[in-house]
Parts: sequence; structure tokens; C-alpha cells
Amino acid sequence: MDQFIKWSNFSKIAEYAQLFEQGLLVTVLLSLFTVVIGFCLALILALMRMSNIRPFRALGIDKDGHQREKGFLAVISKFNPLSFIATAYVEILRSTPVIVQIFIIYFGVFGVVKLPAYNMFGFIKFSRFFPGVVALGMNSGAYLCEIIRAGIQSIDGGQTEAARSLGLSQGQNLRYIILPQALKNILPAIANEFVVIIKESAITYTIGVQDIMSAVNAVKGATFVIIEPLLVATAIYFCLCFPTSKLIAYFERRMSHGDKR
Amino acid sequence: METRDNLIEVKDLKKYYHGGAIKALDGVSTDIHPGDVCVVIGPSGSGKSTFLRSLNLLEEPTGGAIIFEGTDITKKKYKDENGEIVRLDIDKLRQKMGMVFQHFNLFPHMTILENMTLAPMKVKGMSKEAAEQKALELLDRVGLKDRANAYPIQLSGGQKQRVAIVRALAMEPNVMLFDEPTSALDPEMVGEVLDVMKKLAEEGMTMVVVTHEMGFAREVGNRVLFMADGMLIEEGTPEDIFDHPKSARLQDFLSKVL
Repeated sequence: MDQFIKWSNFSKIAEYAQLFEQGLLVTVLLSLFTVVIGFCLALILALMRMSNIRPFRALGIDKDGHQREKGFLAVISKFNPLSFIATAYVEILRSTPVIVQIFIIYFGVFGVVKLPAYNMFGFIKFSRFFPGVVALGMNSGAYLCEIIRAGIQSIDGGQTEAARSLGLSQGQNLRYIILPQALKNILPAIANEFVVIIKESAITYTIGVQDIMSAVNAVKGATFVIIEPLLVATAIYFCLCFPTSKLIAYFERRMSHGDKR
Repeated sequence: METRDNLIEVKDLKKYYHGGAIKALDGVSTDIHPGDVCVVIGPSGSGKSTFLRSLNLLEEPTGGAIIFEGTDITKKKYKDENGEIVRLDIDKLRQKMGMVFQHFNLFPHMTILENMTLAPMKVKGMSKEAAEQKALELLDRVGLKDRANAYPIQLSGGQKQRVAIVRALAMEPNVMLFDEPTSALDPEMVGEVLDVMKKLAEEGMTMVVVTHEMGFAREVGNRVLFMADGMLIEEGTPEDIFDHPKSARLQDFLSKVL
């Protein structure tokens, strides 16, 4: 009689424990780098989307000095190239599957740009790990961008007016007034995105990154045991994701001292 | 006659929206002298707030000029005393003009003390100790020294507005702009804020106040501007405006509010 789980199978895969250990390290590193790249990219994209740089502004003013209401020149005068690029980036990245993006980065971009055959910690293949980080970082950057933009736009305009009227520059206003409040508001959404990144990193096994999923595949191939390694992977992923969301919830509580009486 | 120095000279100030379809300000000219307490009154939508917010360029005027301490601040570039063309440093300018808002706009993630020391430290480069000492002195003047480590949400509306006033004063401005400072307050808290403003006026601070408090305008103001439809209809001493209104618009307005 077939059983869903055979305890004996766990002892069979136990000798491959080192693969899972290595996989865990790779997944953690992959997620950390992705989060850092994604967050920096997102911040830049969000600022680009909200920028107000209009190189053709002068075309929108007619010869009496009034703003044009309609027509081609009025549209051109409102054109903001930075915002356009950022918006296009976000929409394209959000509207295509991650696996397609990973394959394009790995086979396309890094098929042309050759990476050194270097092994991190003696076993992580840099030529596979790096494209994985780049692809995931670019993808999460698009999602985080929208979260950050929403956070910044949720702050009352009066805050900026007060800061600027005290003499703070635009950058100081962003750094000391807007971002601290915005980050607090979007922390739950960011926590969600971080957990998604940890889980989504599993997809990089398709380009040969030796993460937890690739350990599952290796064990499966060597022992023909399927369910048990998957359950081990499940447990590891849960132990990564659950504390992450708890940790961020802790920071959220710590930052909320301005909203209680 | 240019014997009296003007702190702010406003010339034919215009602010249009939607390409001139809406005229929030339609040619306002006036002078503000050092030590003036200039009260701006008028029906809602008359352009009072737009006028005030234009003075420190929170609104960018469509036309006209604002000359603050000898420099036309509506121009992006100007000639300095050596005849060199320099860019207008808007942040430098705004330090000299304190602003108080209807909705206080305290920074909710900072304590009262942090609210007050941020700009002196980051903009003026004051040391933390000096900024805090000054902040506590100012808080003491408005009777809120014991709330220095509270967060804005723990304060009443009147207390918040008093903090907002001293936060602006911490930058040692040459003029204070008040945008309906008591309009968002519960009636019993209006007095405490007006008292602070009155004290400030007595100390000789130049003030431009947009308000609906006619009692304050009459008692503390030395000049009253009446605005309607984006235009300055009448200006004069409180006696001129309240006791001998000339225009029909002002007479009509006063009959409704007094």
C-alpha cells in the first residue's frame, strides 16, 4: 500500500542534508541581495515617477505668455521623460512573468556579458547567482516602486509646505519629514513584498542557482523520493518567511510612537 | 515718497489657474513695513490665502513682483550687490519668513522638541544643545515647556498651534505669515492662540495675518486689507475699515460678519 509519507524516506534523504544547508544559504543570500537592489531601484524609480522635470515646458506657453490649454504643444509641454521611463519600466516588469524575465536576463543579457567562473564560499556559482539576483531585483524593484510611491503620496501636502517654509530643502524634506512617515505607513506592504521575494527566489533554480529548490531536485534525482524533500523545503521556507514578517511587525510597533495618545 | 523702508513690496501680483480661466489673484499691490501687523480679511475664495502663500512662494505667482528686502523674489535669478547674476535661493528666503498654517502641520513622527530643533539644526547648522535650549525658551514663553517630549497627537489643537508658532519663531524670521491660524480650532482654544499672536505683535514682530477673527483684526492690527474676487478692494487702519467702510463690497461683508 502506498503511503503519502514514509518516515523511512527521511532517513534516506538525511545524507543529503548538506545540500539543503547550502540551499538555505543561497536562498538567504539571494533574498538579501534582491531586497537591497530592489529597494534602491524602487526608491529611484518612485522619485523619477514623481519628478516634475518637463524639458519642453516652454512650448506650452503661447505668445501672450498664457498656458496653452489644448493641442499637440500642450501635450508635449507636459511630457516628463524621467517619469515616462519609470512608468514604462514598472508596467512592463509587472505585466510579464518573472520566469520570462529571468530567462531573458540569464540567456540574453548574460549570454553576451560573460561573468567570471568564480565560486562564492567555494560552491555558489557566481555566473548563475548574479543573473538571478539581477532579475529578481529588477522585478521586485517594479513592485516596491509602486508601494513607495503610494507611501510618499499618502503624506499630507501640508507636511512638505511646513518643512519648506522652515527653510528645509527639497532633499531635507524628503529625508527628515516625508520618507520616515511614508516608510512607517508602507511597512506592512514592504513586509509582504520581502516575504514574496524569499518565496519567489525559488524560481531561480530554473537557471541553475543552487537554492533550496535545487536541493530538492538533486535529492529527487538521486533517491527517487519526491514528497519528503518537498516537505523539508516547505519547512525551511516557512521558517524563513514567518520570522521575517514577525520581525517587520516588531519594527512597525516601534515606529508607531507618534500615533498613540 | 520712499522715506519708510518697505519689508515687502507687492506689485500687481497675479495668480491664474487654468490659463487665466480662474483668477485667484488679479493684480494686488501693497506694501508691508517693518513692525506692521497687517490683517487680511475677506469672504472665502477671495484670494486671501493665495496672497499670503505667494509671499513665501508656496504658490508661484503668474505675474507681478514681490520685493522682499530689496530683491524681487518672483525672478529665478537676480543681480547681487556686486552686480553678479545669482540664482534665487528659495530656502534661504523662506528661513526669513515664518509661516503658520490653519492645520498646524506639525511633524507627527517627532516630539515637540524635535519639531522645533530640526530646522535650526539642519538649515542653520546650530548645535543640538543650542537649538534645544532655544526651543525650550520659546516653549516656556507659550507655557508649553513641560510638553517638550510629547508627540503632537498628545496635544490639543490650541497647544499644537502655539507650538507651530514657536517652531516658526525658532528660525528667527523677519516676518511671520499666519494662514487662518484659528479656523481649525475649537472655540474655547481660539483665545490662547490669539494671545500668543498679540504678544508677538507687541514685541514688534512684522506679521501678515489672514483671519476671520474681526476682533483680533480691530484690536491688534495696525492695517487691514479687505480682499474680494482676487482684488484688494480697500485698505486702511482698523477704524477706516470697520467704522467707515467706503465700498459696497466691504459694507456688505461687514454686515454679514459683525
